[in-house]
Amino acid sequence: MNRLARQRFLQPGTFAWLAIPPLLLQCLALNWSAALTWPTYGLVICALLKLWRGSKPFDRRLAALLQLLSAGLLASQLQGLLATILQLIAVSAAFAGLLGHELGGMLSLRGLLRRSLQLLLAALPLALVLFLFVPRIAPLWTTELGPRRGAVTGLSSNLDPLSIEQLATVNASAARVSISGVETLPTNGYWRVLVHEQFDGRRWQHRDAAFSRQPNRGLLNESEISQWWVVEPSSTRAVPWDGRSKPAAKDQWVTSEGELMVGAASRQKRSFRLSKGTDPMGWQRRPPFKSERKQPPASLPRLNELGGRFRSLPTNQERLVAVERWFKSQPFRYSLTPGSMTDLDNFLFESQVGFCGHYASALAAVMRSADVPARVVSGYLGGRQIDPITGTHYLELRQSDAHAWVEVWLEGSGWQQVDPSLWADRNVLDNVNQGQQQTFNSWSDQANWSFGEWIQGQWWGLDMAWTRWWLGLDQASQQAWFQAVLGRQQRWLGLLVVLACMASLSLGLVMVQLRLGSRQPLEQSLRLLADLGVTPMPGETFSELCQRAATAHPDRSRLLSAMAHHHQVLTHALLTAHQRREHLHQWWRSQRELASAKR
Amino acid sequence: MPSAELTLGLRNLYIIPSRFGALWLATTALLLLVAIQTTSNSTLLLAFVMLALMLLAMFLTHDTLQGLALRCGEPAPSFAAESATYPLLIETRHRRPPLRLRFRKVPESAFVQLSAGITLVGLSWKPEQRGWQQPPQLQIETIAPLGLFICWTRWHPPKQQLIWPRRRPGPVQEKHPPRWRDGLDEWQDLRPVREGERPAVVDWAGVAKGRPLQAKVFSVPEDVDRILEPAPGVSTEQAMEHLADRIWTLQKRGERYGLRLPSTSLPPMRGLQHRNACLEALATE
Repeated sequence: MNRLARQRFLQPGTFAWLAIPPLLLQCLALNWSAALTWPTYGLVICALLKLWRGSKPFDRRLAALLQLLSAGLLASQLQGLLATILQLIAVSAAFAGLLGHELGGMLSLRGLLRRSLQLLLAALPLALVLFLFVPRIAPLWTTELGPRRGAVTGLSSNLDPLSIEQLATVNASAARVSISGVETLPTNGYWRVLVHEQFDGRRWQHRDAAFSRQPNRGLLNESEISQWWVVEPSSTRAVPWDGRSKPAAKDQWVTSEGELMVGAASRQKRSFRLSKGTDPMGWQRRPPFKSERKQPPASLPRLNELGGRFRSLPTNQERLVAVERWFKSQPFRYSLTPGSMTDLDNFLFESQVGFCGHYASALAAVMRSADVPARVVSGYLGGRQIDPITGTHYLELRQSDAHAWVEVWLEGSGWQQVDPSLWADRNVLDNVNQGQQQTFNSWSDQANWSFGEWIQGQWWGLDMAWTRWWLGLDQASQQAWFQAVLGRQQRWLGLLVVLACMASLSLGLVMVQLRLGSRQPLEQSLRLLADLGVTPMPGETFSELCQRAATAHPDRSRLLSAMAHHHQVLTHALLTAHQRREHLHQWWRSQRELASAKR
Repeated sequence: MPSAELTLGLRNLYIIPSRFGALWLATTALLLLVAIQTTSNSTLLLAFVMLALMLLAMFLTHDTLQGLALRCGEPAPSFAAESATYPLLIETRHRRPPLRLRFRKVPESAFVQLSAGITLVGLSWKPEQRGWQQPPQLQIETIAPLGLFICWTRWHPPKQQLIWPRRRPGPVQEKHPPRWRDGLDEWQDLRPVREGERPAVVDWAGVAKGRPLQAKVFSVPEDVDRILEPAPGVSTEQAMEHLADRIWTLQKRGERYGLRLPSTSLPPMRGLQHRNACLEALATE
């Protein structure tokens, strides 16, 4: 049984290399202008170089650590389902690589994988206890770790429809929302994003509120959450919402214009939750600012003249009705290819062809000239409901669902939504544009989906379910369940955490030990023989021990000699992998028979 | 008082985080900070898994050494100032991850992967003095399975190793005592007689029986006895070193030699046993 000491054999880092592709794949998805992106690239490249060029044992360890660190940084930037799966693969492979390096060829690749997963699983109870019980803390300081620049499609803070001869319809996804407690999702709802209140005679501009966190104190219970949103990267910090729901986390707030802001940087995928709101929100009751009453410039004489006609009417409500009547009396046509126009006068009184941007700009300008506070709102309209076989149904908003409408200030009822696009004649649409109309989208009919779209819908369904569940485990939900479990006894939380940590660490140790002990066939055989009352004597070989046991138990001599034989062959003979497996299998069988004979 | 056998357990094992362990902990702290700043659940969980692995690794590294039983083997004699091998028997009940054995202040170390049973490990060290020497303190250490902690123990192996004096060529006093030589009849072979051959080696008996004139061939042609003594005017240590070298050379040439030292004296003989006896006498003089 004696074996000469042998030099440690450095196993080629098979698993360490396996961690690299998932990391690189995720690097491709990062936004170049995010603060954490470049450190992540640097770490992945360092890990790659250490693996490639590193010759010292410490280099291999460092490579594994760098891989784990870069996986952690990637996890903080990419939180989707696919990204999480890739991160899991990278972490497992990096860990198996580290273990393989330290155990130095002690285990086969399969054994190594099994052992590393076993260790990770053993560490999981303690990690979960810490994850669930240690109270979360809000970010220590206010930073924008996310990207500031980057190519994104979507809404712009500058609404200038007159410069657009042909509206490009991008079919990329903009956002997905899942609403709890609703069977049929509202596919004709208006989801507001940006408010454009500054008009210079041509463009409606959005005034970007200075970045100031307005902490939302009221954290709500899990049961009140009604909407889960996943918003694709966009150029705006404001995110789509219905204008009524309430923010559910500390880093969300509603501006005085009625825009919903979330703390996460806009150039990356954002996920957030909203809770059900019933009462009108403060933004709807907020009286108009001076900028929201500002008259259109004198460069639009005909528009001002039109607006001036309605000023004589006593209330804003009546003026709005009169303007609507005027719009409907004119032969306005809705088109995504309106051609170029010089100004709004040109649109209102000559071409009279345009898309939502034209109508919203024109109506808001006319209302202001009629002395009614008005502003343009851009966001999304409609969307399609997707019912994945795997999860909850959700509403998908695409960039082609982008829409613009108007809000006017009516005495007594505050800011009211008006969509002038609905006043245009839709029966004379250009044939080309028929498939792209926001309110009558052909692709909201599921029969028109391609197989690729179906797969994407299913995947996004899984992603949505994952996001709902994983993002749901946040500070608010943690406090809610502390409240539910501990009630007023929260001062015992510290003791509870310590006890749970000790228990889970013991559990982890038991998990590691159990499997290790039972895997050695010789140990098992010795235990079996000990149960038969035969224990090894000093200097006795396993064969001699089996012989002695056979003398004591002649009825089991066949099994005992078979065990001794397989052990001898496995220890001393030169075997192929197949023969080795065969002998091990035979040994296991003899042991099993011996154990059952004993019973 | 060094014990003959050492079983590693809680009382004699020490464990601290390694340099890599400190780096691991720093990485965990960094990930925790990133997780807090970006409110990322995945990063937070990864940081906690790394922390849990660190705690588990402490126990696992300790388990790598715990329960090992160490005993000394029978050390073979060796020369001073040359690499000597000290045998150690390590007994374990199950397979162990790699561990490292070395004598303290000795650069060489041995990485061992133990399987169940008793393993013989030869550890090298370089003794400077002759005589019965005790090897330096033994250090057994491991960082397996994750390299996050270093667990070690130190032990003085009790069994002494005989160290012969260093081999250094130099003057040795040789004496050739008068010797009654028999065995001229014990020749091994015959060869043709050369010009000027001594009459004593001629096989006269064969000639008498009618065979041609042949000379006897003896196995040791120059069979001269020597008694080796320390050269006068040389320090004792140096004299011992010269004697050790001379004994080694004579033994290699297969010659007979004896040794006379102030306290011992060994008659001229041949063979390994004689050589070892002589070298031991030199070592312990």
